[in-house]
Amino acid sequence: MNVLQSVRVFWSSAVIAKKALFDWLSPGLWLMQLFTMSLFQMAFFVYISAYVGNPQATVAYVAVGNAIQSIAYVAIFAVTNVTTEEKEAGTLPGILVTPANRFALFIGRAMFQVLNSIATVVIALFYAAVLFGVDFSSANLVTLAVVIVVTAFATVGFGLMLSSLGFYLRTSMVVANVFLFMGLLFCGVNFPVTMLPEFLQPIAYIFPITYATDAARLAVGGAGLGEVWSYLSAELVVMVVAILIGYAMMMAFEHLARRKGTLEMF
Amino acid sequence: MPENVIEAQELVRIYRSSTGFLRKKKKETLAVNKVSFSVGRGELFGVLGPNGAGKTTTIKMLTTLLTPSAGTAKVLGFDVTKDPVEVRKRIGLILGGERGLYYRVSGRQNLKYFADLYGVPLQQRDRRIQDVLDMVGLSEKADSKVEDYSRGMKQKLHIAKGILHDPEVIFMDEPTIGLDPQASRETRKLTQDLINQGKTILLTTHYMFEADELCRRIAVINNGKIVAMDTPQGLKGLVRDTAVIEVEGFGIDDKVMDRVRKLDGVRTVSATASESKQVMRVQVCDAGELLSPVTKALDCKVIDVRVKEPTLEDAYLWLVEGHA
Amino acid sequence: MPRLRAMKAAFEHQARHFLSDPGWLIPNIILPFIITLVALLLYGSSDGPVVMYAVLGGGMMGMWGNTLYASGYSIQSERWWGTLESVLAVPTPLIWIIAGRTIWNALIGVANGLAILAVAVFVLQAPITVADLPLFLLAFLMTLLSLAALGLVFSSAFVLTRQAGVLTNGLEYPIYVATGCMYPIAILPFWTGPLSLSLAPSWGIDAIRIAAGYNPQGLWDGYLGVLDPMVAYAVDIIVVVVMACAYLVIAFYLFGVVDRRARIEGNLGRV
Repeated sequence: MNVLQSVRVFWSSAVIAKKALFDWLSPGLWLMQLFTMSLFQMAFFVYISAYVGNPQATVAYVAVGNAIQSIAYVAIFAVTNVTTEEKEAGTLPGILVTPANRFALFIGRAMFQVLNSIATVVIALFYAAVLFGVDFSSANLVTLAVVIVVTAFATVGFGLMLSSLGFYLRTSMVVANVFLFMGLLFCGVNFPVTMLPEFLQPIAYIFPITYATDAARLAVGGAGLGEVWSYLSAELVVMVVAILIGYAMMMAFEHLARRKGTLEMF
Repeated sequence: MPENVIEAQELVRIYRSSTGFLRKKKKETLAVNKVSFSVGRGELFGVLGPNGAGKTTTIKMLTTLLTPSAGTAKVLGFDVTKDPVEVRKRIGLILGGERGLYYRVSGRQNLKYFADLYGVPLQQRDRRIQDVLDMVGLSEKADSKVEDYSRGMKQKLHIAKGILHDPEVIFMDEPTIGLDPQASRETRKLTQDLINQGKTILLTTHYMFEADELCRRIAVINNGKIVAMDTPQGLKGLVRDTAVIEVEGFGIDDKVMDRVRKLDGVRTVSATASESKQVMRVQVCDAGELLSPVTKALDCKVIDVRVKEPTLEDAYLWLVEGHA
Repeated sequence: MPRLRAMKAAFEHQARHFLSDPGWLIPNIILPFIITLVALLLYGSSDGPVVMYAVLGGGMMGMWGNTLYASGYSIQSERWWGTLESVLAVPTPLIWIIAGRTIWNALIGVANGLAILAVAVFVLQAPITVADLPLFLLAFLMTLLSLAALGLVFSSAFVLTRQAGVLTNGLEYPIYVATGCMYPIAILPFWTGPLSLSLAPSWGIDAIRIAAGYNPQGLWDGYLGVLDPMVAYAVDIIVVVVMACAYLVIAFYLFGVVDRRARIEGNLGRV
C-alpha cells in the first residue's frame, strides 16, 4: 500500500511540476527554445573548429559533443528551475506538512525533464547530420538510442543533486549555471578530455556527459551496445550516486529548516 | 471522557540569528516561552495575540513544520517530533495568504495534487474535491487559474486544501486576515460548520470579535507567553469591575490619549478612526468617579460620551498592555 | 532635466542592486570566460596570431553578455518583485530609466571584457599584440556604445514578455555566431551575411581586429571588397556609429509601442 501511494506521489509531482512550475512557457516559445538553442551553440563551436582545423576536434567531434551536451541545459537548468519556482510560489510548507513520501516528491518533479532532454538531443543530432554534415551512414541507431535515454536519466539525476544544493542557497541558478559551464570545458564536448591539463582531467569523470559524449561518438561510428556498455554503466553509477546525495541533502536541509525556522524562505 | 486532542507542554522556541558583517553578534530571540495548553475533542480553541506574539510559531511547532527548542507537543497522542508522519496524516494546516498555491494551474488541479500527496483514496478523490469546493463556495471558479482568483477566493482554496483529506484536527493561522467583511463572515461560518461536523480546530487571530464569536476557549499570548486562558466570558470577567468610557470626537490624537492615560484610575486607552472622526475607549475602574476628569482632559471637539460594558477587546488590551 | 535625473537615478539603482547581489551575474561573466577557455584550447594547437581570435573574441563576449542582457534581466526582476507597474506609472518615459541601467551594465561589461583579456594574456599566457592602441581603444568604445544601444532595443521586448529569460538565453549564442567574434564571418554560409552585417558588433570587432593588427578574411579583406586597412577601419567605425544611432531611434519607437501595449494588455502585474 505504501509503495502504491509513493508511486502516486511520484506521478502527481511530475504532473504538477510540468503544469505549474514549468509549463508557463507558451508552447510557441517552448518549441522555439527546443529547436534553436542547440542549433546555435553547435554552430558556434562547429565554426570555430572548422576555422581552426584541429585534428583532435573535428567538426563531427564537436557537433556530436554539443548535441549530447544540449541535454545538460534541460536537465540541469530546467530541473533547478522547478525547485526555484516552487520556492517562489511558497508551496513548500504546504507540501511538507503532508505525509507524502519525500523521495517520491523529490524524484517526481524532474520526470518531465527526462522527456524534454531526449527530445532536445534527438533534434540536436538531427541538426548535426543535416546542417553540419556529420556522417550517420554507419551509425548504430539502437546503441545511440540507448545512450540517449540513459544519459537523459543520468543528467536529470545530476540536475536533481544540483537543485538540492541550491535548495538551501538562494542562488541555485548560479550553481546550475556554473555546472553547466564546467560541463562545456570538462566533458569532452568540444575537445577530448586529454587536451586538458593533467591535474584537471579527473574532474571530468564526475559528470555523466563525459561518458555520454564518447559513447555517442562510438555509436555514430557504428559501435554495438557491448562496446559502449562500460561508459553507460559508469553513467548509471554517477546517476545513482548523484540522486542519493541530492536526496540526502534535501532531507538534511528540511531537517535544518525545521530546526532553524527558515522554512518561510522556502 | 473528553480526550485531549492537542497537548502542548512547556513549548519553547528560540530563534538564533547573527547580525553584523564583520563582527557577528549572535542574537537569541525567545519567540515562544514555555507555552502549555490542551485542546479537547470537538473544541474550537483560539490563540489571540498581537503581531509577533508567537502565534504562528506555536502553530508551526504543533504542525511539525518547526522543531521545538524545548518542551513537547502531541496531536492525537502522537508526538510531533518523534512521529511527524502520523501527525501529518491526521491534521490540516491552513496558513492562508497570497503564497502557498500553484498559480498557473486551476484551483481543482491544486486540490488534485494535494489529494494525491495526502493519499485521499483514488475512487473518492474527485468526489471529495467537488464536495470541498462546494463547501467553501469555489465550484464556479474551480477550473480557472489561481492567478485569476481574488484574495477571498485564494483563502477559500487554502481552506479547501486544508480539509481535503478530512483531518480530525485543523489548524488555522489568521484565517480572515486581509479579507473583506463578506468573505470574513463566510470563513467564520465555514469554521463553525467544521466544528459542527465534529472537527477540532485551533485558530489564531488578532481580531477580538472573531475570537469572541467562535471560540469556546481562548489563550491570550503576548511576547511568547500565555497571559491568560479562559472562555470568552471568563476573560471578560477579568475586566468585570471596570467600565469603558467611550468618547467620540474630532482631533483625538496621541497627546490627548497620553493625557487621559496619566489620570489616576485609568487602565487602558485605545482609539479607532472612522472617516474623519475618532472613537477613544478609556477603560476605567469606576466610571462614576472618572467621567469628569476624563472629559476635562479632552481639548478636542467632542460629539458624544458614553459609558459602556467592557468587551473582550478591553480584556485583551488590559492583558497585553496594562497587566504587568 | 527630469529625464536625465531619472536616468541618473536608474543608473544608481542598478549599481546598488548589482553591488548588493552580483551573484546572478555569474552566468554572464562565467560563460564568456569558459567559451574563451574552450576556444583557446582549440586554437592553442595553431601557431601564430590566430590565437588572438580567441582572446579578442572572449573579451568581446564578456563585454556583450552583460550589456545586452542585464537590462532585460532587471526588468524581469521587477516583474517578480511586483514593482514593474509602479515603474511604468512614473512620469518619466520608461526608456530613460532603462537607459540609465544599461549604462551601468555597459560599464560592468567593459570591466568584464577587460578581465577576460587580462586573464587570457597574463595567466594563460596567450599572445596578444596591439598594433595601434588608441585606435584599438576607440574601436572598443564605439562597439560598446553600439551594444548598449542594441541592448536598449532588446529591453523593450523584455517589458512585454513574461519570458524575458528565455529570450535572453535564446539570443546569446546566435549573436556570438552571427557577429563573428571567434572567427571571420567569411566562413559562415553566404545567406547569413545580411544578418551579420545588420549587427553593429560585427563591424566593431572588425575594426578592433584591424587595430590589433590581425584580421585575415576580415570584412574588407575580400568579403565585402578590398580596402586599405586604415580606410577599412574608418568605414567600420562610421558604420558602427550610424548603426548605434539607428538602434537608438528604433529603441525610442519600440518603447513607445511597449508603453501603449503594456497598458492595453495589463499583465505587467503578472509573474
